[in-house]
Amino acid sequence: MEWLFLAVSFVAVLAAAMMLTRQNAVHSALFLIVNFGCVAFLYLMLDAPFLAMVQVTVYTGAIMVLFLFVIMLLGAETTTDTSGRTRWLGLAGSAIAIILLLIFAFPIASDMLADDKAEPLDAQAQLRLINAIPGGEAEEFTVMEMGFAMPLAGTVRANVALDAVDASLPDDRIDGVIYDDPREVARGYRELAAGDYTIIVGVSDGSYASGPIFTKDLALTPDSATSVVVFENAEDLIDVAVLSDDLSAPAVGKMRLTLFNAVTDRQVSLVEVGQYTERRSLCDDGSCSRLIPHRRLIDQLPAGDHISLELDEGSYNLAFVDQDQNVLRILADYQAERGLIETRALVREPGPPGSQASYRAAVYNALAVPAFGSPEAVGQVLFIEYVLPVMLVGMLLLVALIGVIVLARPDALAQAERRRINRRRRVNRPLVSVISQQTGADVLSGEYQAKLPGGPADGSAE
Amino acid sequence: MNPIGAEPYIVLSMVLFLLGALGVLMRRNAILVFMSVELMLNSANLALVAFAREWGQVNGHVFVFFVMTVAAAEVAVGLALIVNIFRERQSINIDDLQQMRG
Repeated sequence: MEWLFLAVSFVAVLAAAMMLTRQNAVHSALFLIVNFGCVAFLYLMLDAPFLAMVQVTVYTGAIMVLFLFVIMLLGAETTTDTSGRTRWLGLAGSAIAIILLLIFAFPIASDMLADDKAEPLDAQAQLRLINAIPGGEAEEFTVMEMGFAMPLAGTVRANVALDAVDASLPDDRIDGVIYDDPREVARGYRELAAGDYTIIVGVSDGSYASGPIFTKDLALTPDSATSVVVFENAEDLIDVAVLSDDLSAPAVGKMRLTLFNAVTDRQVSLVEVGQYTERRSLCDDGSCSRLIPHRRLIDQLPAGDHISLELDEGSYNLAFVDQDQNVLRILADYQAERGLIETRALVREPGPPGSQASYRAAVYNALAVPAFGSPEAVGQVLFIEYVLPVMLVGMLLLVALIGVIVLARPDALAQAERRRINRRRRVNRPLVSVISQQTGADVLSGEYQAKLPGGPADGSAE
Repeated sequence: MNPIGAEPYIVLSMVLFLLGALGVLMRRNAILVFMSVELMLNSANLALVAFAREWGQVNGHVFVFFVMTVAAAEVAVGLALIVNIFRERQSINIDDLQQMRG
Protein backbone atom coordinates (compact mmCIF):
# COMPACT_ATOMS: atom_id res chain seq x y z
CA MET A 1 0.00 0.00 0.00
CA GLU A 2 2.79 2.39 0.84
CA TRP A 3 4.61 1.92 -2.42
CA LEU A 4 1.29 2.54 -4.20
CA PHE A 5 0.84 5.80 -2.33
CA LEU A 6 4.43 6.82 -3.05
CA ALA A 7 4.09 6.03 -6.75
CA VAL A 8 0.79 7.88 -7.14
CA SER A 9 1.94 10.92 -5.16
CA PHE A 10 5.18 11.01 -7.15
CA VAL A 11 3.21 11.06 -10.40
CA ALA A 12 0.93 13.76 -8.96
CA VAL A 13 3.81 16.02 -7.96
CA LEU A 14 5.61 15.37 -11.23
CA ALA A 15 2.49 16.24 -13.22
CA ALA A 16 2.00 19.43 -11.21
CA ALA A 17 5.60 20.46 -11.80
CA MET A 18 5.30 19.71 -15.51
CA MET A 19 2.10 21.76 -15.62
CA LEU A 20 3.99 24.71 -14.19
CA THR A 21 6.92 24.52 -16.54
CA ARG A 22 5.34 23.73 -19.91
CA GLN A 23 5.18 26.67 -22.30
CA ASN A 24 2.27 25.20 -24.24
CA ALA A 25 -0.95 25.74 -22.31
CA VAL A 26 -2.53 22.63 -23.84
CA HIS A 27 0.29 20.51 -22.47
CA SER A 28 -0.15 22.17 -19.09
CA ALA A 29 -3.85 21.35 -19.09
CA LEU A 30 -3.14 17.73 -19.99
CA PHE A 31 -0.63 17.42 -17.16
CA LEU A 32 -3.17 18.95 -14.81
CA ILE A 33 -5.62 16.25 -15.88
CA VAL A 34 -3.01 13.63 -14.96
CA ASN A 35 -2.63 15.31 -11.57
CA PHE A 36 -6.40 15.32 -10.98
CA GLY A 37 -6.57 11.66 -11.93
CA CYS A 38 -3.86 10.89 -9.36
CA VAL A 39 -5.77 12.84 -6.72
CA ALA A 40 -8.92 10.85 -7.58
CA PHE A 41 -6.91 7.67 -7.05
CA LEU A 42 -5.74 8.98 -3.68
CA TYR A 43 -9.39 9.64 -2.78
CA LEU A 44 -10.06 5.97 -3.50
CA MET A 45 -7.20 5.04 -1.19
CA LEU A 46 -8.71 7.34 1.45
CA ASP A 47 -12.05 5.47 1.44
CA ALA A 48 -13.83 8.20 -0.52
CA PRO A 49 -15.11 6.42 -3.63
CA PHE A 50 -17.92 8.92 -4.13
CA LEU A 51 -15.56 11.88 -4.15
CA ALA A 52 -13.20 10.01 -6.45
CA MET A 53 -15.98 9.64 -8.99
CA VAL A 54 -17.02 13.28 -8.58
CA GLN A 55 -13.39 14.30 -9.00
CA VAL A 56 -13.14 12.39 -12.25
CA THR A 57 -16.43 13.64 -13.67
CA VAL A 58 -16.37 17.24 -12.45
CA TYR A 59 -12.69 18.11 -12.39
CA THR A 60 -10.97 15.99 -14.98
CA GLY A 61 -14.14 15.86 -17.02
CA ALA A 62 -16.11 19.09 -17.02
CA ILE A 63 -13.66 21.68 -15.71
CA MET A 64 -10.63 20.56 -17.66
CA VAL A 65 -12.64 20.20 -20.87
CA LEU A 66 -13.75 23.79 -20.29
CA PHE A 67 -10.12 24.84 -19.90
CA LEU A 68 -9.01 23.01 -23.04
CA PHE A 69 -11.97 24.41 -24.93
CA VAL A 70 -11.12 27.98 -23.97
CA ILE A 71 -7.40 27.53 -24.68
CA MET A 72 -8.12 26.20 -28.15
CA LEU A 73 -10.90 28.70 -28.80
CA LEU A 74 -8.58 31.59 -28.06
CA GLY A 75 -5.64 30.01 -29.82
CA ALA A 76 -3.71 30.90 -26.71
CA GLU A 77 -1.57 27.79 -26.59
CA THR A 78 1.62 29.75 -26.29
CA THR A 79 1.89 33.08 -24.64
CA THR A 80 5.39 34.16 -23.95
CA ASP A 81 6.14 34.74 -20.32
CA THR A 82 7.20 38.34 -20.57
CA SER A 83 8.89 40.74 -18.20
CA GLY A 84 12.18 40.23 -16.47
CA ARG A 85 10.62 40.22 -13.06
CA THR A 86 9.08 36.82 -13.72
CA ARG A 87 12.44 35.14 -13.15
CA TRP A 88 12.93 37.10 -9.98
CA LEU A 89 9.45 36.28 -8.73
CA GLY A 90 9.98 32.65 -9.59
CA LEU A 91 13.19 32.46 -7.63
CA ALA A 92 11.68 34.26 -4.66
CA GLY A 93 8.58 32.05 -4.79
CA SER A 94 10.65 28.89 -4.96
CA ALA A 95 12.73 30.00 -2.01
CA ILE A 96 9.61 30.77 0.05
CA ALA A 97 8.08 27.46 -0.96
CA ILE A 98 11.12 25.48 0.11
CA ILE A 99 11.30 27.35 3.41
CA LEU A 100 7.60 26.72 4.07
CA LEU A 101 8.03 23.05 3.25
CA LEU A 102 10.96 22.82 5.63
CA ILE A 103 8.97 24.53 8.36
CA PHE A 104 5.71 22.63 8.06
CA ALA A 105 6.05 19.46 6.07
CA PHE A 106 9.44 18.33 7.29
CA PRO A 107 8.48 17.97 10.98
CA ILE A 108 5.40 16.00 10.01
CA ALA A 109 7.41 13.74 7.75
CA SER A 110 10.14 13.20 10.34
CA ASP A 111 7.54 12.48 13.04
CA MET A 112 5.93 10.04 10.68
CA LEU A 113 9.18 8.21 10.11
CA ALA A 114 10.18 8.35 13.75
CA ASP A 115 7.36 6.58 15.53
CA ASP A 116 4.80 4.03 14.56
CA LYS A 117 1.32 5.37 14.67
CA ALA A 118 -0.50 4.44 17.84
CA GLU A 119 -4.03 3.17 17.70
CA PRO A 120 -6.46 6.03 18.29
CA LEU A 121 -7.60 5.89 21.89
CA ASP A 122 -11.26 6.54 21.36
CA ALA A 123 -11.94 3.73 18.91
CA GLN A 124 -15.56 2.84 19.39
CA ALA A 125 -17.46 -0.39 19.13
CA GLN A 126 -21.17 -0.97 19.35
CA LEU A 127 -22.77 -3.41 21.71
CA ARG A 128 -26.31 -4.42 22.47
CA LEU A 129 -27.95 -6.92 24.73
CA ILE A 130 -30.54 -9.34 23.51
CA ASN A 131 -32.71 -10.84 26.17
CA ALA A 132 -33.66 -14.33 25.09
CA ILE A 133 -34.46 -15.79 28.47
CA PRO A 134 -37.85 -17.44 28.68
CA GLY A 135 -40.04 -15.93 31.27
CA GLY A 136 -42.29 -13.10 32.10
CA GLU A 137 -42.05 -9.55 30.93
CA ALA A 138 -40.80 -8.33 34.29
CA GLU A 139 -37.39 -9.68 33.59
CA GLU A 140 -34.81 -7.01 33.14
CA PHE A 141 -31.19 -6.77 32.41
CA THR A 142 -28.54 -4.38 33.47
CA VAL A 143 -25.18 -3.76 32.01
CA MET A 144 -23.01 -2.30 34.62
CA GLU A 145 -19.76 -2.54 36.34
CA MET A 146 -19.59 -5.19 38.99
CA GLY A 147 -20.08 -3.74 42.42
CA PHE A 148 -22.36 -1.00 41.20
CA ALA A 149 -25.39 -3.17 40.73
CA MET A 150 -28.50 -1.28 41.70
CA PRO A 151 -31.78 -2.91 42.53
CA LEU A 152 -34.28 -2.40 39.78
CA ALA A 153 -37.98 -2.14 39.97
CA GLY A 154 -39.76 -5.38 39.34
CA THR A 155 -38.45 -8.86 39.44
CA VAL A 156 -34.90 -9.02 38.28
CA ARG A 157 -33.52 -12.42 37.69
CA ALA A 158 -30.32 -11.77 35.93
CA ASN A 159 -27.88 -8.97 35.65
CA VAL A 160 -25.11 -8.79 33.14
CA ALA A 161 -22.05 -6.74 33.82
CA LEU A 162 -19.22 -5.79 31.59
CA ASP A 163 -15.84 -5.47 33.18
CA ALA A 164 -13.05 -3.81 31.27
CA VAL A 165 -9.94 -5.98 31.29
CA ASP A 166 -7.70 -3.17 30.20
CA ALA A 167 -7.42 -0.69 33.05
CA SER A 168 -6.91 2.19 30.63
CA LEU A 169 -10.44 1.85 29.31
CA PRO A 170 -12.86 4.16 31.04
CA ASP A 171 -15.26 2.22 33.19
CA ASP A 172 -17.84 4.95 33.40
CA ARG A 173 -18.90 4.16 29.87
CA ILE A 174 -20.25 0.89 31.16
CA ASP A 175 -21.70 1.95 34.43
CA GLY A 176 -25.35 2.58 34.77
CA VAL A 177 -26.72 1.33 31.50
CA ILE A 178 -30.10 -0.07 32.26
CA TYR A 179 -32.19 -1.92 29.79
CA ASP A 180 -35.59 -1.99 31.26
CA ASP A 181 -37.66 -1.94 28.13
CA PRO A 182 -39.76 -4.97 27.39
CA ARG A 183 -38.53 -7.40 24.82
CA GLU A 184 -39.64 -7.31 21.24
CA VAL A 185 -38.71 -3.68 21.23
CA ALA A 186 -36.00 -2.74 18.83
CA ARG A 187 -33.21 -1.81 21.12
CA GLY A 188 -30.33 0.36 20.09
CA TYR A 189 -26.68 -0.26 20.24
CA ARG A 190 -24.54 1.36 22.82
CA GLU A 191 -21.18 2.83 22.00
CA LEU A 192 -18.33 1.46 24.04
CA ALA A 193 -14.62 1.96 23.87
CA ALA A 194 -13.11 -0.88 21.93
CA GLY A 195 -11.08 -3.30 23.98
CA ASP A 196 -11.25 -6.48 25.97
CA TYR A 197 -14.06 -6.96 28.42
CA THR A 198 -15.38 -9.69 30.59
CA ILE A 199 -19.08 -10.35 30.57
CA ILE A 200 -20.20 -11.21 34.07
CA VAL A 201 -23.61 -12.73 34.49
CA GLY A 202 -25.17 -12.98 37.86
CA VAL A 203 -28.57 -14.39 38.67
CA SER A 204 -30.34 -12.36 41.23
CA ASP A 205 -33.67 -12.36 42.96
CA GLY A 206 -33.84 -8.61 43.23
CA SER A 207 -31.25 -8.08 45.91
CA TYR A 208 -28.26 -9.05 43.82
CA ALA A 209 -27.19 -11.33 46.62
CA SER A 210 -25.65 -14.00 44.50
CA GLY A 211 -22.26 -13.44 42.98
CA PRO A 212 -21.31 -13.93 39.40
CA ILE A 213 -22.16 -17.37 38.16
CA PHE A 214 -20.80 -17.02 34.70
CA THR A 215 -18.10 -15.04 32.97
CA LYS A 216 -17.14 -14.87 29.36
CA ASP A 217 -14.44 -12.94 27.58
CA LEU A 218 -15.55 -10.37 25.05
CA ALA A 219 -13.22 -8.61 22.65
CA LEU A 220 -14.69 -5.52 21.04
CA THR A 221 -12.78 -4.56 17.93
CA PRO A 222 -13.07 -0.95 16.70
CA ASP A 223 -15.97 -0.17 14.38
CA SER A 224 -17.63 -3.48 15.06
CA ALA A 225 -21.16 -4.21 16.18
CA THR A 226 -21.81 -6.99 18.64
CA SER A 227 -24.94 -8.50 20.09
CA VAL A 228 -24.70 -10.26 23.40
CA VAL A 229 -27.53 -12.76 23.59
CA VAL A 230 -28.44 -13.96 27.06
CA PHE A 231 -30.40 -17.19 26.99
CA GLU A 232 -31.08 -20.27 29.02
CA ASN A 233 -29.15 -23.32 27.97
CA ALA A 234 -30.13 -26.95 28.18
CA GLU A 235 -29.15 -27.14 31.85
CA ASP A 236 -31.51 -24.24 32.62
CA LEU A 237 -28.51 -22.07 33.30
CA ILE A 238 -28.03 -18.63 31.91
CA ASP A 239 -25.67 -18.65 29.02
CA VAL A 240 -24.29 -15.93 26.81
CA ALA A 241 -23.69 -16.03 23.09
CA VAL A 242 -21.74 -13.31 21.32
CA LEU A 243 -22.94 -12.47 17.83
CA SER A 244 -20.81 -10.25 15.68
CA ASP A 245 -23.36 -8.27 13.70
CA ASP A 246 -22.80 -7.34 10.11
CA LEU A 247 -24.28 -3.86 9.79
CA SER A 248 -23.10 -3.28 6.26
CA ALA A 249 -25.88 -2.75 3.78
CA PRO A 250 -27.38 -5.96 2.39
CA ALA A 251 -27.27 -6.61 -1.32
CA VAL A 252 -29.53 -4.38 -3.39
CA GLY A 253 -33.18 -5.29 -2.97
CA LYS A 254 -32.52 -7.70 -0.11
CA MET A 255 -32.78 -7.81 3.63
CA ARG A 256 -30.58 -9.67 6.05
CA LEU A 257 -32.20 -11.91 8.62
CA THR A 258 -30.16 -13.39 11.44
CA LEU A 259 -31.76 -16.15 13.43
CA PHE A 260 -30.58 -17.12 16.87
CA ASN A 261 -31.87 -20.36 18.29
CA ALA A 262 -32.55 -20.01 22.00
CA VAL A 263 -34.73 -23.11 22.09
CA THR A 264 -32.34 -25.43 23.79
CA ASP A 265 -33.88 -28.80 23.26
CA ARG A 266 -34.34 -28.82 19.53
CA GLN A 267 -32.88 -27.80 16.24
CA VAL A 268 -34.80 -25.16 14.38
CA SER A 269 -35.35 -24.72 10.67
CA LEU A 270 -36.85 -21.69 8.99
CA VAL A 271 -39.08 -22.66 6.11
CA GLU A 272 -41.19 -20.75 3.69
CA VAL A 273 -44.64 -22.28 3.27
CA GLY A 274 -46.80 -21.38 0.34
CA GLN A 275 -50.09 -20.78 2.09
CA TYR A 276 -50.79 -19.47 5.52
CA THR A 277 -52.08 -22.32 7.64
CA GLU A 278 -52.76 -22.92 11.25
CA ARG A 279 -51.02 -26.25 10.95
CA ARG A 280 -49.06 -27.53 13.87
CA SER A 281 -46.85 -29.66 11.68
CA LEU A 282 -45.35 -29.81 8.24
CA CYS A 283 -46.47 -33.44 7.97
CA ASP A 284 -49.21 -34.16 5.52
CA ASP A 285 -50.19 -37.48 7.07
CA GLY A 286 -50.00 -39.19 10.42
CA SER A 287 -46.79 -41.12 9.81
CA CYS A 288 -45.09 -38.00 8.56
CA SER A 289 -43.87 -39.64 5.38
CA ARG A 290 -45.04 -36.73 3.29
CA LEU A 291 -44.46 -33.06 3.95
CA ILE A 292 -46.48 -30.15 2.68
CA PRO A 293 -44.68 -28.12 0.01
CA HIS A 294 -42.16 -25.79 1.54
CA ARG A 295 -38.78 -24.21 0.94
CA ARG A 296 -36.09 -24.42 3.57
CA LEU A 297 -34.31 -21.15 4.20
CA ILE A 298 -32.38 -22.23 7.29
CA ASP A 299 -31.89 -25.91 7.89
CA GLN A 300 -31.45 -27.49 11.32
CA LEU A 301 -29.95 -24.66 13.33
CA PRO A 302 -28.56 -26.12 16.59
CA ALA A 303 -29.40 -24.59 19.93
CA GLY A 304 -27.34 -21.59 20.94
CA ASP A 305 -26.22 -21.08 17.38
CA HIS A 306 -27.02 -18.38 14.87
CA ILE A 307 -27.01 -17.97 11.13
CA SER A 308 -27.66 -15.13 8.68
CA LEU A 309 -29.37 -15.20 5.35
CA GLU A 310 -30.38 -12.60 2.80
CA LEU A 311 -34.00 -12.55 1.75
CA ASP A 312 -35.32 -10.99 -1.41
CA GLU A 313 -37.70 -8.10 -0.94
CA GLY A 314 -41.31 -9.23 -0.76
CA SER A 315 -43.92 -10.99 1.30
CA TYR A 316 -43.41 -14.43 2.81
CA ASN A 317 -45.24 -16.92 4.94
CA LEU A 318 -42.51 -18.18 7.21
CA ALA A 319 -42.59 -20.93 9.80
CA PHE A 320 -40.10 -22.06 12.40
CA VAL A 321 -40.00 -25.84 12.42
CA ASP A 322 -38.17 -28.25 14.65
CA GLN A 323 -36.48 -31.46 13.53
CA ASP A 324 -39.72 -33.43 13.98
CA GLN A 325 -41.43 -31.07 11.53
CA ASN A 326 -43.51 -29.52 14.28
CA VAL A 327 -44.34 -25.91 13.54
CA LEU A 328 -43.16 -23.84 16.48
CA ARG A 329 -44.12 -20.43 15.27
CA ILE A 330 -45.69 -18.99 12.15
CA LEU A 331 -44.82 -15.62 10.74
CA ALA A 332 -47.70 -15.06 8.34
CA ASP A 333 -47.37 -12.43 5.66
CA TYR A 334 -43.86 -11.53 6.70
CA GLN A 335 -42.72 -8.40 4.91
CA ALA A 336 -39.11 -8.42 3.83
CA GLU A 337 -38.10 -4.80 3.36
CA ARG A 338 -35.05 -3.95 1.41
CA GLY A 339 -32.09 -2.74 3.39
CA LEU A 340 -33.46 -4.04 6.66
CA ILE A 341 -31.19 -5.88 9.04
CA GLU A 342 -33.14 -8.01 11.45
CA THR A 343 -32.07 -10.30 14.22
CA ARG A 344 -34.58 -12.76 15.56
CA ALA A 345 -34.19 -14.91 18.61
CA LEU A 346 -36.50 -17.90 18.82
CA VAL A 347 -37.38 -18.43 22.47
CA ARG A 348 -39.51 -21.04 24.18
CA GLU A 349 -42.00 -19.50 26.56
CA PRO A 350 -43.03 -21.75 29.41
CA GLY A 351 -46.76 -21.51 29.64
CA PRO A 352 -48.82 -22.14 32.76
CA PRO A 353 -48.36 -25.65 34.15
CA GLY A 354 -50.10 -28.26 32.06
CA SER A 355 -50.36 -26.17 28.95
CA GLN A 356 -48.25 -26.52 25.87
CA ALA A 357 -45.17 -24.40 25.57
CA SER A 358 -45.37 -21.54 23.13
CA TYR A 359 -42.59 -20.04 21.10
CA ARG A 360 -41.92 -16.52 20.10
CA ALA A 361 -39.47 -15.01 17.69
CA ALA A 362 -38.27 -11.86 19.39
CA VAL A 363 -37.14 -9.31 16.86
CA TYR A 364 -34.25 -6.89 17.18
CA ASN A 365 -33.86 -4.51 14.32
CA ALA A 366 -30.86 -2.54 13.24
CA LEU A 367 -30.36 -0.06 10.50
CA ALA A 368 -27.76 -0.69 7.89
CA VAL A 369 -24.83 1.63 8.31
CA PRO A 370 -23.68 2.87 4.92
CA ALA A 371 -20.01 2.34 4.29
CA PHE A 372 -17.79 5.31 5.09
CA GLY A 373 -17.43 7.61 2.10
CA SER A 374 -20.00 5.78 0.03
CA PRO A 375 -22.52 7.82 -1.98
CA GLU A 376 -25.17 6.84 0.56
CA ALA A 377 -23.18 8.07 3.55
CA VAL A 378 -22.20 11.34 1.87
CA GLY A 379 -25.73 11.84 0.58
CA GLN A 380 -27.25 11.34 4.02
CA VAL A 381 -25.00 13.99 5.55
CA LEU A 382 -25.36 16.26 2.54
CA PHE A 383 -29.12 16.27 2.41
CA ILE A 384 -29.90 16.03 6.10
CA GLU A 385 -27.33 18.11 7.93
CA TYR A 386 -26.33 20.40 5.08
CA VAL A 387 -29.55 21.04 3.21
CA LEU A 388 -29.24 24.83 3.43
CA PRO A 389 -25.65 24.98 2.15
CA VAL A 390 -26.62 22.63 -0.67
CA MET A 391 -29.40 25.03 -1.63
CA LEU A 392 -27.03 28.00 -1.39
CA VAL A 393 -24.43 26.29 -3.54
CA GLY A 394 -27.13 25.47 -6.05
CA MET A 395 -28.09 29.14 -6.09
CA LEU A 396 -24.43 30.03 -6.53
CA LEU A 397 -24.21 27.75 -9.54
CA LEU A 398 -27.33 29.33 -10.98
CA VAL A 399 -25.92 32.83 -10.47
CA ALA A 400 -22.65 31.76 -12.04
CA LEU A 401 -24.54 30.34 -14.99
CA ILE A 402 -26.43 33.58 -15.48
CA GLY A 403 -23.24 35.57 -15.06
CA VAL A 404 -21.50 33.57 -17.74
CA ILE A 405 -24.42 34.05 -20.09
CA VAL A 406 -24.35 37.80 -19.46
CA LEU A 407 -20.60 37.93 -19.98
CA ALA A 408 -20.69 35.95 -23.19
CA ARG A 409 -23.95 37.15 -24.68
CA PRO A 410 -23.89 38.07 -28.40
CA ASP A 411 -24.82 41.60 -27.46
CA ALA A 412 -21.57 42.02 -25.59
CA LEU A 413 -19.74 40.57 -28.54
CA ALA A 414 -21.50 42.97 -30.91
CA GLN A 415 -20.60 45.95 -28.74
CA ALA A 416 -16.94 45.02 -28.54
CA GLU A 417 -16.88 44.33 -32.26
CA ARG A 418 -18.58 47.60 -33.11
CA ARG A 419 -16.17 49.49 -30.94
CA ARG A 420 -13.20 47.96 -32.71
CA ILE A 421 -14.69 48.57 -36.14
CA ASN A 422 -15.43 52.16 -35.25
CA ARG A 423 -11.92 52.61 -34.07
CA ARG A 424 -10.53 51.30 -37.35
CA ARG A 425 -12.81 53.41 -39.53
CA ARG A 426 -12.23 56.65 -37.79
CA VAL A 427 -10.66 58.41 -40.86
CA ASN A 428 -10.74 62.10 -41.49
CA ARG A 429 -10.98 62.11 -45.23
CA PRO A 430 -13.93 60.83 -47.23
CA LEU A 431 -13.40 57.43 -48.81
CA VAL A 432 -13.67 58.84 -52.30
CA SER A 433 -10.67 61.06 -51.93
CA VAL A 434 -8.61 58.17 -50.56
CA ILE A 435 -9.42 56.08 -53.62
CA SER A 436 -8.79 58.88 -56.01
CA GLN A 437 -5.48 59.55 -54.36
CA GLN A 438 -4.48 55.94 -54.72
CA THR A 439 -5.60 55.52 -58.31
CA GLY A 440 -4.43 58.95 -59.39
CA ALA A 441 -7.67 59.75 -61.09
CA ASP A 442 -10.97 61.25 -60.20
CA VAL A 443 -13.39 58.50 -59.39
CA LEU A 444 -16.38 60.69 -59.73
CA SER A 445 -16.98 63.31 -62.34
CA GLY A 446 -17.94 66.76 -61.28
CA GLU A 447 -21.48 65.95 -62.17
CA TYR A 448 -21.70 63.19 -59.59
CA GLN A 449 -19.59 65.06 -57.16
CA ALA A 450 -22.29 67.67 -57.19
CA LYS A 451 -24.67 65.04 -55.84
CA LEU A 452 -22.50 64.33 -52.83
CA PRO A 453 -23.62 65.85 -49.62
CA GLY A 454 -22.44 69.41 -49.42
CA GLY A 455 -22.26 69.73 -53.24
CA PRO A 456 -24.44 71.91 -55.46
CA ALA A 457 -28.17 71.62 -55.26
CA ASP A 458 -29.56 68.26 -56.38
CA GLY A 459 -32.06 67.64 -59.14
CA SER A 460 -29.72 68.79 -61.93
CA ALA A 461 -28.79 65.26 -63.07
CA GLU A 462 -32.24 64.36 -64.16
CA MET B 1 -8.34 -0.36 7.09
CA ASN B 2 -5.84 1.68 5.27
CA PRO B 3 -2.41 1.29 6.86
CA ILE B 4 -1.28 4.76 5.76
CA GLY B 5 -2.12 7.53 8.18
CA ALA B 6 -3.18 11.03 7.30
CA GLU B 7 0.29 12.60 7.56
CA PRO B 8 1.68 11.56 4.15
CA TYR B 9 -1.45 12.91 2.51
CA ILE B 10 -1.07 16.21 4.35
CA VAL B 11 2.55 16.50 3.24
CA LEU B 12 1.57 15.71 -0.35
CA SER B 13 -1.23 18.26 -0.15
CA MET B 14 1.27 20.87 1.10
CA VAL B 15 3.62 20.14 -1.78
CA LEU B 16 0.82 20.39 -4.33
CA PHE B 17 -0.44 23.61 -2.75
CA LEU B 18 2.98 25.18 -2.92
CA LEU B 19 3.39 24.13 -6.54
CA GLY B 20 0.04 25.77 -7.26
CA ALA B 21 1.06 28.94 -5.43
CA LEU B 22 4.31 29.01 -7.38
CA GLY B 23 2.33 28.71 -10.57
CA VAL B 24 0.16 31.67 -9.60
CA LEU B 25 3.27 33.72 -8.87
CA MET B 26 5.37 32.69 -11.83
CA ARG B 27 3.15 32.21 -14.81
CA ARG B 28 1.91 35.18 -16.85
CA ASN B 29 -0.70 33.29 -18.81
CA ALA B 30 -4.09 33.95 -17.20
CA ILE B 31 -5.34 30.47 -18.04
CA LEU B 32 -2.32 28.89 -16.40
CA VAL B 33 -2.82 31.05 -13.35
CA PHE B 34 -6.36 29.70 -13.22
CA MET B 35 -5.16 26.14 -13.54
CA SER B 36 -2.71 26.74 -10.69
CA VAL B 37 -5.58 27.99 -8.54
CA GLU B 38 -7.43 24.77 -9.35
CA LEU B 39 -4.36 22.83 -8.26
CA MET B 40 -4.36 24.66 -4.94
CA LEU B 41 -8.07 23.98 -4.39
CA ASN B 42 -7.43 20.34 -5.16
CA SER B 43 -4.63 20.07 -2.65
CA ALA B 44 -6.90 21.58 0.00
CA ASN B 45 -9.52 19.00 -0.92
CA LEU B 46 -6.99 16.24 -0.51
CA ALA B 47 -6.17 17.47 2.98
CA LEU B 48 -9.89 17.62 3.84
CA VAL B 49 -10.46 14.04 2.68
CA ALA B 50 -7.40 12.86 4.60
CA PHE B 51 -8.67 14.51 7.77
CA ALA B 52 -12.16 13.13 7.19
CA ARG B 53 -10.72 9.62 7.08
CA GLU B 54 -8.60 10.30 10.14
CA TRP B 55 -11.60 11.37 12.22
CA GLY B 56 -14.10 9.02 10.65
CA GLN B 57 -16.44 11.91 9.80
CA VAL B 58 -18.14 12.24 6.45
CA ASN B 59 -18.48 16.01 6.91
CA GLY B 60 -15.07 16.50 5.34
CA HIS B 61 -16.34 14.85 2.19
CA VAL B 62 -19.29 17.21 2.17
CA PHE B 63 -16.97 20.22 2.37
CA VAL B 64 -14.93 18.83 -0.51
CA PHE B 65 -18.15 18.52 -2.44
CA PHE B 66 -18.93 22.19 -1.80
CA VAL B 67 -15.41 23.25 -2.75
CA MET B 68 -15.77 21.39 -6.03
CA THR B 69 -19.07 23.11 -6.75
CA VAL B 70 -17.66 26.53 -6.00
CA ALA B 71 -14.59 25.75 -8.10
CA ALA B 72 -16.81 24.79 -11.01
CA ALA B 73 -18.73 28.06 -10.74
CA GLU B 74 -15.50 30.03 -10.39
CA VAL B 75 -13.95 28.37 -13.43
CA ALA B 76 -17.00 29.04 -15.57
CA VAL B 77 -17.11 32.75 -14.68
CA GLY B 78 -13.34 33.17 -14.81
CA LEU B 79 -13.00 31.59 -18.21
CA ALA B 80 -15.84 33.75 -19.54
CA LEU B 81 -13.96 36.79 -18.26
CA ILE B 82 -10.76 35.59 -19.90
CA VAL B 83 -12.57 35.10 -23.21
CA ASN B 84 -13.95 38.63 -22.99
CA ILE B 85 -10.55 40.09 -22.11
CA PHE B 86 -9.02 38.24 -25.01
CA ARG B 87 -11.63 39.68 -27.35
CA GLU B 88 -10.88 43.15 -26.11
CA ARG B 89 -7.12 43.13 -26.27
CA GLN B 90 -6.02 39.98 -28.09
CA SER B 91 -3.93 38.92 -25.12
CA ILE B 92 -4.34 37.06 -21.87
CA ASN B 93 -0.96 37.93 -20.50
CA ILE B 94 -1.73 39.24 -17.05
CA ASP B 95 1.11 41.76 -17.32
CA ASP B 96 -0.98 43.51 -19.95
CA LEU B 97 -3.90 43.98 -17.60
CA GLN B 98 -2.84 47.03 -15.71
CA GLN B 99 -5.77 49.41 -16.00
CA MET B 100 -6.60 49.04 -12.33
CA ARG B 101 -3.07 49.63 -11.18
CA GLY B 102 -3.13 52.59 -8.83
